[in-house]
Amino acid sequence: MGKQLITLTVNGDSHEIAIQSHHTLLDVLRNELGLTGTKRGCTAGSCGACTVNGDAGEAICSCLSLAIEWDGRSVTTIEGVQEGSELHPVQDAFLEFGAVQCGFCTPGLIMTTKALLDVNSSPSEDEINEALAGAFCRCTGHIKVKKAVRKAVEMLRDRAAGNAG
Amino acid sequence: MHLPQFEYIRAKNLADGLAVLAEYGADAKVMSGGSDLLINMKYRLDTPKVLVSMNGVSELKTVEETADGGLRIGAGCQLTDLVANPAISERFPVLRDAMSAVGSRHIRNIATLGGNLCLETRCWYTNQSENWRMTREGCFKTDLEACHVIKTANRCHAINSSDTAPALMVLDASVVLASHAGQREVALIDFYRDDGVDHTVVKPDELLTAVLIPGSDRRSIFAKLAQRVGLDFAVGTFAASIRGSNDAPDSVCLVLNSVSAAPKALAESEKILIESGLTDEAIEAAAIAARKALGELTNLFTPSGFKRRLVKTLIRNALHELRDKVN
Repeated sequence: MGKQLITLTVNGDSHEIAIQSHHTLLDVLRNELGLTGTKRGCTAGSCGACTVNGDAGEAICSCLSLAIEWDGRSVTTIEGVQEGSELHPVQDAFLEFGAVQCGFCTPGLIMTTKALLDVNSSPSEDEINEALAGAFCRCTGHIKVKKAVRKAVEMLRDRAAGNAG
Repeated sequence: MHLPQFEYIRAKNLADGLAVLAEYGADAKVMSGGSDLLINMKYRLDTPKVLVSMNGVSELKTVEETADGGLRIGAGCQLTDLVANPAISERFPVLRDAMSAVGSRHIRNIATLGGNLCLETRCWYTNQSENWRMTREGCFKTDLEACHVIKTANRCHAINSSDTAPALMVLDASVVLASHAGQREVALIDFYRDDGVDHTVVKPDELLTAVLIPGSDRRSIFAKLAQRVGLDFAVGTFAASIRGSNDAPDSVCLVLNSVSAAPKALAESEKILIESGLTDEAIEAAAIAARKALGELTNLFTPSGFKRRLVKTLIRNALHELRDKVN
C-alpha cells in the first residue's frame, strides 16, 4: 500500500502528488497542498464544511471522496474563488450581510452557494434551501446566509447585465 | 476521523470488476459513490482489505427505456443526474421524489441509486465512532451476540434507511445481480432480509448492476419524515401505489421503511384499502393496522412510542394525498 502518483488540478494549477489510497480529497487539499481554507468538520457528510466544487462545478463533500479517484480531474476550493484581487460576488455578499459568526462553515457555505448560482442564476427560495441543506452553520443560523445568497444573485445579475451592456 | 488502510482497485469495466470480486470475495467491498461506505469505514464498521471502485464503469451509468414503457437504470447512476432525468420524472415521479429525499445535494452529487438500495443498516449504538462504541461491549454487528437497542433481541435490529427502496417496491421493481458466473434478477421485495447484519441477498462475489422498473399505470406517492429533512436519515419513509379508482382499486401496494432491517410491506393495510376503497375511515383503519404491524421497533434517537404515532400520521397523510392525485 505504497504511495501512488496522481495529477490533480486545483484552482487551475496542476499538481503531481504522491498519495495513499486511503487519503480523502480533503486530506490531500489540506495536508499535501496546504490549502486549509477547506475545513475538516464532521468528516461524515453532515456539515458541509469541507465542500469543494468538482469538475462540473458541483458541490461535493471532499471528506467523502477518495483522492485517488480524482486522478486527472480538477477541483475548485475556496482559495480559487477570488478573481485576481477582487472577491467573488458571493464572498462580497457574505461580507456585506455578516453571514459569518465563527467562520468555520463559511468556506463550505460559499462553495455551496457558488455551485448553485453557477447553474441557476435565479434560484427560488426552495432551491436555495435545498442547495444549502448540506452545509450547516452551528453558530448562528441561516437567515443572514440566505440574505447573502439573495444579494449574490442580484450582484451576479447586475454584473452579467453590465457585461452585456 | 480517518480511513483505515486498504488496497484500491479501480475496475476498468464491468467484467473486470466482477473478476476482482470473484478473486477477493468477502475481503473486497464495492464502492461507487462511497458516501455511505466511507463513513462506515471511518467508523471501523467496515474494514475491507480491498476496495473495488466502480466509478469508471460506464456500463453501470446508463438509463434505458424498455419496450413495456418501463426503465432500466444502471446502478452506478448518480442521484442528481437521475433526479434531473425527464424519463424518470415523466414515468415514475414517485422515484424522483424518493431520490430527491436522499441526503443533501452534496451527497446526491456523489451517491448512486445502487448504493442507496444497498445502504448499510443503522442503529443509534453501532453507527458511531469506534471510541463511542468502546463505552459498551460489542453487538451482533461487531463481535458479540447482543443488542443495545432492543435488549432482549436475538438478532440485529439495525434499520434500513434507504429512501428509494420503498418507492421502487411499490413500482414492482427488481434488481439485476451480476457475478463472474452469470446474472440473476431478484424482485426488490425479495432483495432484503429482516436481519440488520446480513440485510440483502447479495453474495460477496455479486454486484447490483441495474434496477428494472416495469411500465405502470399506477398512481403513487412517496413521503418521508426526518428530523432535518434536507439531510437526515428518515424517522420513517412510506410509499404507496394504487391501480384503478379510489372507490374500488384493483391493487394497492404500501411499503414502509426506516422501521426495521427490511422495508415492510403492509399487507393488512393493503387488504383494508382494496376491500373498502380510499375512504376516510378505511385510510384511518389502514394507518392503525400499519402501526400495529410495526412489531419490535428500533430507531435513531426517536423514542419508539413517538415513532409509532409518527408513522401512523405519515401513512394517513400520504394516503389522503394519494387519493387526490390524478396521476
